Amino acid sequence: MRQLWTMTASDLRQRVRDRSVIIFALVVPLALMFVFNLTLGGAADQSLDPVTVAVSAPADDTLAPILIASLTQVDGVDVTVDEVSADEARDRARSGTAELGVVIPEGFGDAVRQGEETVVAVTEGDGSGLESDILLTVMQGVLAQLSAGAVTAAAGAQSGVPAEDLGALAQQAATQAAGLNLTEGEAANEQLSIAGALVAGQAGLFLLFTVGFGVLGLIAEREQGTLARLRSMPMRPGLIVTAKGLVSFILGFVATGVLLTAGSIFFGVSFGSPVAVAVLIVCAVAAATSLMFIIARAARTAEQASALQTILALVLAISGGAFFPLTATGALDTVLGLNPIAAFTRGLGITSGGGGLGDIGVPVAIMLTFAVVGLAASRLVPDRGRDL
Amino acid sequence: MLVARDLVRRYGDLTAVDGVSFHIDPGETFGLLGPNGAGKTTTISMAAGLIPADSGSVTVAGEPMGPGEVHVKRHIGLVPQDLAIYPELTARENLMFFGRLQGLRGQPLSRRIDEVLEIIALTDRAKDPTKEYSGGMKRRLNIAIGLLHEPTLLILDEPTVGVDPQSRNAILESVEALSVGGMAVLYTTHYMEEAERLCDRIAIIDSGRIQAEGTRSELITLTGGVDHIRLAGAGQSAATQAALRALPAVEQVAADGHTLTLTVRDAPTAVAGIVTTATGAGMTLSEVEITRPDLESVFLHLTGKALRD
Repeated sequence: MRQLWTMTASDLRQRVRDRSVIIFALVVPLALMFVFNLTLGGAADQSLDPVTVAVSAPADDTLAPILIASLTQVDGVDVTVDEVSADEARDRARSGTAELGVVIPEGFGDAVRQGEETVVAVTEGDGSGLESDILLTVMQGVLAQLSAGAVTAAAGAQSGVPAEDLGALAQQAATQAAGLNLTEGEAANEQLSIAGALVAGQAGLFLLFTVGFGVLGLIAEREQGTLARLRSMPMRPGLIVTAKGLVSFILGFVATGVLLTAGSIFFGVSFGSPVAVAVLIVCAVAAATSLMFIIARAARTAEQASALQTILALVLAISGGAFFPLTATGALDTVLGLNPIAAFTRGLGITSGGGGLGDIGVPVAIMLTFAVVGLAASRLVPDRGRDL
Repeated sequence: MLVARDLVRRYGDLTAVDGVSFHIDPGETFGLLGPNGAGKTTTISMAAGLIPADSGSVTVAGEPMGPGEVHVKRHIGLVPQDLAIYPELTARENLMFFGRLQGLRGQPLSRRIDEVLEIIALTDRAKDPTKEYSGGMKRRLNIAIGLLHEPTLLILDEPTVGVDPQSRNAILESVEALSVGGMAVLYTTHYMEEAERLCDRIAIIDSGRIQAEGTRSELITLTGGVDHIRLAGAGQSAATQAALRALPAVEQVAADGHTLTLTVRDAPTAVAGIVTTATGAGMTLSEVEITRPDLESVFLHLTGKALRD
């Protein structure tokens, strides 16, 4: 046991001293998180600017106020409605003093009640943006509801409803609250925010590189001759491999923990229960380390190992959604779900949504199964370096 | 101290070591002399328990040696051909690390580290990272790590490869001192002069087989044990050759222009009589050269090729 700790401690000291692990496991992923956050994070945290709408509406129209009121009731958009003449509404949109110019025609309300065709003219200014698109969508929705009143009136007339009742029927259909509603919610509490997915994905990707500093060190030791010397020492050969695995484990756990913590602080992400997150990290590190044992046996040289590691890390990271979310169905979805990076991210989504130890069983099982299968596979891969 | 019996090791179709047997007694320096690719490193890898033999056996201090044999490895110190040190660590940290793996601890380890640093003249640089060392300094540290735990058998695999002459001489002096101290040494080299200088007994190895084994003089007798004397000068004739052939020490005389090459027994003793006879028979000598057989001649005699091929 003393020999195990001696080798582990010495290896960790060297990795810290040559700084490569600090740069590759912490500095680079943190820098990438900042870059990606600048690129993608803006979309998530975009704020909407105030909007001015120049509206021309007939003074005595009973339905026009409903359309105008709908503009000022949009959540998240600060809308100022200036009531002006029809020409001025168009001019202000064209001149840029209003983002939208809306002209509600004479007889708008009566046309709706009678089920007759009527046109609301909208002029979009040059400076209009996302806010104007939102208001247009809202107006289209309101107009659709009002047109429902027109359809109702037409249907009533065809069915022999008395003419004096058609107006009331149309207004009721146009103004009544919808019976069908859309409710927004989170899908099974497993979805991370954009920033959260970014941090988790990068932590998962670089974990696959960080663990290489331990196990793949066997190949470097083989090349520099120290492995031969270690194998001449009075200890079991398996102890050398165990020490390298332990170094991978410690480096992977610490680096991933630091990345998630830094991500939480810098990008305002909460990953939830620290205990559950720690369990997820342990499982992810185990899965990643098992992969390194396969590479260590398959590669003859450090260059081969590095190339294999990069290929596997990128394939697993991309298919695990480390850079952008992937959607698949059927068998492909099942295969993608077995990816340890995907399981790690999914687990963090669960903890982020308030889940605890009892809720992360599936991702934990996926990662541990991957680790066991990886370790078993590493014993089956021909040992091309003839040392492990 | 070490007994190797019929060692065989194959890599695919290549038989790197093919039935190698030898033994080393306590306090003896035993050399494996052969060109690159002869099977020296594979042989000592089995002797040090780094790799298993496909067949045959190795015992050290009476205990079987192999990759899984832990206890017996305490008897050996290995100095690999590669510089088996960690460049990010200092000399003291390297020694501390390998000393701990050998089971040394605390004050005894610190004292021993001070001793070996003194021996290899690295005390002043002990706290510098070894990546800043010269090649010779690294070689010395490489040997010191093998000596740290005072093994009874030290295995050195071509320890002077790539070393400047001054460091090389220092390394050879250190190895000479080890055998005086009673340590058994297994030394591999492809430098004939190192094997002649250091080794009590030498095994000449080529193509995975030991071609011959014995002391230097025993090996030289394999060539027939004869010396050569070359006489150059004017006036040599059939009469000169006949006079020389008549000498009891001379076995053969070959003429080539103004040069005569004589095959003789014990050239240092016979040379005076030969010179007197040649000049007395009318030859005016301008050059006399004695060539005695060495391990290079032995290797050439046994394998039909030069040692450095």
